[in-house]
Amino acid sequence: MKQTRVLLAGILFLSLSLISCAPSSAAGGWAGIAVEGDLLYTGSLDGKIVCINATDGQLRWLYQIVMASGTASCGETLVPSAIYGTPLVERGMVYVGTYDGKVLALNMVARQEGLTFPQKRYGEWEWSCPTANRGGNAIVTDLVTSGSAIYVSCSNGKVYSLDKEFGDLNWESDALSERLWTSPALHDDIVILSTFEGRLLTVSAESGEVLPWSFESASGFVSRPVIYDHTIYIGSFDNKLYAIEIGASEPLWSFAGRKWFWAAPLVVGGRVYAGCLDGNVYAIESRTGKQLWRFNCKSPIVSSPVVAGDVLVVATESGNVYLIDVETGKGERVKNPSVDSRPTVDARVRASLLVKENKVYIHAQDDCVYRLGVQDMKVEKLFCVRDVKMH
Amino acid sequence: MANLWYLIIADPVLNALIALSHFLFDNFGLGIVAFTIIIRLALWPLTKRQFSSTKALQNMQPKMLELQKKYGKNQQRLQQEMMKLYREAGINPLGCLWPLLVQFPIWIALYQAITRALGTTPENLLELAHHLYSWKPVTEAIPLSSRFLWLDLGQPDHTLILALIVGVTTWVQQKMTTPPSIDPRQQATNNMMLLMMPFMFGLFTLMFPSGLPLYWAASNIIGIISQYLLTGGWGYLRFRSPTQSVSVKTRKS
Repeated sequence: MKQTRVLLAGILFLSLSLISCAPSSAAGGWAGIAVEGDLLYTGSLDGKIVCINATDGQLRWLYQIVMASGTASCGETLVPSAIYGTPLVERGMVYVGTYDGKVLALNMVARQEGLTFPQKRYGEWEWSCPTANRGGNAIVTDLVTSGSAIYVSCSNGKVYSLDKEFGDLNWESDALSERLWTSPALHDDIVILSTFEGRLLTVSAESGEVLPWSFESASGFVSRPVIYDHTIYIGSFDNKLYAIEIGASEPLWSFAGRKWFWAAPLVVGGRVYAGCLDGNVYAIESRTGKQLWRFNCKSPIVSSPVVAGDVLVVATESGNVYLIDVETGKGERVKNPSVDSRPTVDARVRASLLVKENKVYIHAQDDCVYRLGVQDMKVEKLFCVRDVKMH
Repeated sequence: MANLWYLIIADPVLNALIALSHFLFDNFGLGIVAFTIIIRLALWPLTKRQFSSTKALQNMQPKMLELQKKYGKNQQRLQQEMMKLYREAGINPLGCLWPLLVQFPIWIALYQAITRALGTTPENLLELAHHLYSWKPVTEAIPLSSRFLWLDLGQPDHTLILALIVGVTTWVQQKMTTPPSIDPRQQATNNMMLLMMPFMFGLFTLMFPSGLPLYWAASNIIGIISQYLLTGGWGYLRFRSPTQSVSVKTRKS
């Protein structure tokens, strides 16, 4: 009996050790794609910022982001840091927020030359979000820019304004939430933030001061706010999509899905196109909340839809991509280039889609980038990050 | 197989925890404590059998001492006679392991439920949507706050307070139910187990999201109280092992 007990204790110890000592971030994430000229920028699932030539699929440069993981008892190790936001590309610089709470400003020339980071003479900098509370300091949202400032939502519940050129802190807001996991939105000189506690808050873009207008909802907000025609469109944990006029105390309307509206809606031409985790994409009249049509994609929609001409492009968790006529709501699945019956791309799609010159770029969870021609409905695998070779 | 795991164990645990938290002032910590009480109630038949075995073993101590004296030099015969004694008394010496074994899948489900319910990573939060029932108490409870007392239930507690509580309560509960032995080797194993398990769980407390150690601590405390009430005392907690008594006497003489 004693041997059995010792054996059992040993098995228990080993099993629990294996579970508990697994690294807290084995990267992951779902970074979208930025394009400048022929070059594509994205964050890979193993924590690399990569710059790839879209025409020949050759790697121009990469930068590996690592973070400390583990506990004192398990031992600390360096693991790749996850990237959830789409890189922000502007005038030879790439800005990106990371899961270990850093904002990096990478210079394309310095990275191509493989110099150590950060090269101040090339304008590179690194900023760390402080761990001000128990929410940690992860950055899991897109960075937003206006003029010479970058606005960052941090898991510590605060929003920060950074100087784009030097990375200096312009201001930090008060703690607005237990954790901020949604990107800020800019409207005139106001930064608008949504919180898991169900509040919409307005902060001065100039000073970081919290402004008087806010909106309280019984349920937390799950998606980032989208602003169109002085109205905020946002998804909530109560399975509803809300339209709230800035300054109002009551919502303009709410629209019920069967699951969360995780993806931020797309609002264009007086219509709201909202992908839902219930697998449907809904077209809704933006002022009235009236449903115009619904298209069933049969799989949860995590990535926000995009419009290319008069076609709505929707990608799903199953890897299928649909092209839907924005007027009629009639759509078609894009076929897999190799086997018809397989999903359009070989993995889940969670990252933001990018439209450029009638082509849609998709970064799927197999860490491959696909390019879809909206006219010919043909999809091609441009490259997989693991396979790219240095030019 | 994975779907079956979620269908039968993981999803019910997750949704029960969230619903309980909603009814208990949207407090996830209270939800875990209430969940622990429910699990202990569900395991009551097994626990009761374990307690009865403990009490019976306690009552059998004089007979076991006699056997130790009689067959102390012949280990094989001693084991046979002891097994005979267990059989006659209707005791399964491995019976005390069942509550532990049954709880193991619950621990795994609870670990998954805690990390998922609190949405400790964006992936966890997204996954949560796929595992939620469409009950109103569940949908209304999301997102949950991870704060409870001084703890962040989604992160390990590095203050050592919870580790100490888990370690001490594990030791007390185990000590209450571990019968002493005359055989010095067996007693050494007993002593090692008595120290190893609390140390192990104390160590795990520093590694796991503190929601899980909170379950261990609550479960241990409930176990200690039930044991005390059911057996009418502290069990073997105050019982000095025969080998210890012998060695003390020897040293004194």
